[in-house]
Amino acid sequence: MSLNRPLGQCFRSTRHDRILHLPYRTLATTTESPSTPEATPPPPPDATSAEKAHRYNPNLVHTSRTEKKLIATQNQYPIGSRRRRAALATSTNIPFSQLPYQCFQEARKVLLEDRAEKVREVEMMRERIAKLEAKGSRLGEGEGEVERRKREHQIRSMRKRLEDWKILADINDPLVKKRFEDGMGDMTKPIYRHLSDLQWRTYKRLVLMQRITQMNVVPDVLQSIDPTYSTSIRFADSHKVPHGEFVHSLLSEKPPVLTIQPYNAGDRLVTIAIVNPDVPNVERDAFDYRCHFLACNVKISPTDTTVDLSALDPETQVLQSWLPPHVQKGLPYQRHALFVLEQNPETLNKTYSSPSSPGTLNLTDMKSRKPEVTQREKFVLRSFMDKFSLQPRGVDLFRAKWDDGTAEVMERAGLAGGDVEFRRKRVEPLPYQRLKGERFR
Amino acid sequence: MALHSLHRAHQVPSVAALSALESALASFRISTQPSTPSGRRNASHQAQGRANGPKDTAGKRLGAKKADGQYVVPGNILFKQRGTLWFPGDGCFMGRDHTIHAQVPGYVKFYTDPVQHPKRKFIGVVFERGNSLPQPHNAVRRRKLGMLAYQMPSTVAEQTAGDLTDLTPSSPAEQSSGAAIPATIVRDQPQEARQTKTIRTRRDGRWVETTLTLRPGHQWRQANWEIGRAAERSKAARSVRPFKPGDRFAAWRKRNARIARNAELRTMKRGGKKGGKAKK
Repeated sequence: MSLNRPLGQCFRSTRHDRILHLPYRTLATTTESPSTPEATPPPPPDATSAEKAHRYNPNLVHTSRTEKKLIATQNQYPIGSRRRRAALATSTNIPFSQLPYQCFQEARKVLLEDRAEKVREVEMMRERIAKLEAKGSRLGEGEGEVERRKREHQIRSMRKRLEDWKILADINDPLVKKRFEDGMGDMTKPIYRHLSDLQWRTYKRLVLMQRITQMNVVPDVLQSIDPTYSTSIRFADSHKVPHGEFVHSLLSEKPPVLTIQPYNAGDRLVTIAIVNPDVPNVERDAFDYRCHFLACNVKISPTDTTVDLSALDPETQVLQSWLPPHVQKGLPYQRHALFVLEQNPETLNKTYSSPSSPGTLNLTDMKSRKPEVTQREKFVLRSFMDKFSLQPRGVDLFRAKWDDGTAEVMERAGLAGGDVEFRRKRVEPLPYQRLKGERFR
Repeated sequence: MALHSLHRAHQVPSVAALSALESALASFRISTQPSTPSGRRNASHQAQGRANGPKDTAGKRLGAKKADGQYVVPGNILFKQRGTLWFPGDGCFMGRDHTIHAQVPGYVKFYTDPVQHPKRKFIGVVFERGNSLPQPHNAVRRRKLGMLAYQMPSTVAEQTAGDLTDLTPSSPAEQSSGAAIPATIVRDQPQEARQTKTIRTRRDGRWVETTLTLRPGHQWRQANWEIGRAAERSKAARSVRPFKPGDRFAAWRKRNARIARNAELRTMKRGGKKGGKAKK
């Protein structure tokens, strides 16, 4: 695919057929010989051509009108980005290497050269890291503790630079950019992970951070969070919840499907917790916490991102099964904050994990030795994270309020109190005080 | 040239003759020469009346209405101001004219919060006399439920055996024979439970559900607002295409139709003649 239309780009509108089929001359170094026949002559009109006249190609439609027509008439959806479809529809699709622009080809040469240089750099860095690592973590001859620490730090920073080089090698490649924009990026490769991270941070993460700060998830449930995994929640298979949106109680009766997208390489185990910090407590005249879902040892990776909460193993993963959100009548809305906590094998509390499988938490140990931390009611995420040394990596939020389905959801879930209504407590007004010297006029 | 200078040299006018000529020509001049400045300036500022004098209006009674540490209840006015000298902090809200009100019962605190904003001054309300503001920014917010739980009155209505809530026509015969079906009462409940009846009629090939309420004078009829909105559901209203804001094609068609109609009207006014009517 290529945009071989420097002249075509000058047209204000590309949606009309007559512009698409205008005979135009590209900036070729040699003129096209007029005797060259058409590569594919138009097929002769047949009986069915009238019916086929309004067939839309899902690879080529690129205006909102034709996209709508495609969906309405053919029940098909456009493929890839609109930019890609427009480019496909308006270009001659000559590969880059055969494009007849001298300057363009020179620029490509520069880019290829640059990439080769970066790849050399990556290889060199790998060798140097391997050399340093060969020394191991033990002390070398004539080496003190300070030198060893220094070497470890050096390895860490070299690894970081290696990742940077890997990204820099591909960041200028137009084909990489195209593949990413078409949604065909391979998340096992660092460049696509980098690009999707960038995309997430430019808009979606900002919205997420705004929601969790404005709705006070951050001081109420957790002191602070710097999310590095993007998350999304889907109820009833298809209902995707924007961050902080209200979810109807009938939709949230069944556990959701999560998408947790990490942007750094490798498999990892995470703990997933859904916490409600707005549970009413009439005796204390305050709000309590409640855990609506808690599961450990959930394996995710940049390519394996979907977590179906109903499909997790109750023996080895689920600590607290799904409790449908239920907000009794009259109460203010309740926030349900989802947290993704990383079980880092290096920092995880070793007393709750077996040495044979580092990073995995033992559920029976957790339940028996720390029942007050893993309980459903009065679940405090701060102490839970402290006890097992978990790191917050992702956050999401949805809200619930009383609606017409709440009572039946509570009944089906076996929860009492569906017929309880909350009303404001009367605050006694201040007595009317007359000033001392004041008199009736 | 020589002739001209010669002619000029012979007839040099006297000073008196020139001034007389000047005064005579002045009466023919269109614009008066600014020989003498008039000294008049137009007013750019109101000088008369109430313009500059009375500034001693009545005081607006602005300022603090409650002191620091004073007990307040929700709705109490804490500070009246023009603009935002003070901002609402925890347990407070700002009213229509920037007045700060209490939102929760408690004790008033005047404070600054450099983390939240470097310059703003806040008024807040704390629940306990000993509490202070601002709270640490990582700490859980102090909140109170301020509500009590009550048992809801039972809302289960008595259902009679003849409850026909299903509105879909069951048999194909019922679907096909349209207007022949008389209006039937589909929700028959004791009047103590609900003072409404729902009847179902076939109108314009559709099933229409009408809710009748028992009105004073023992008449079963629709509510007034329902009668008022009947026009919106009429066949004529449904035949009108709904307005779509971005539909430029429809707008273009309407515009062209209007132009054509106007052109036609114009032609009819003229009686089919070309060109405008000659003015008398």
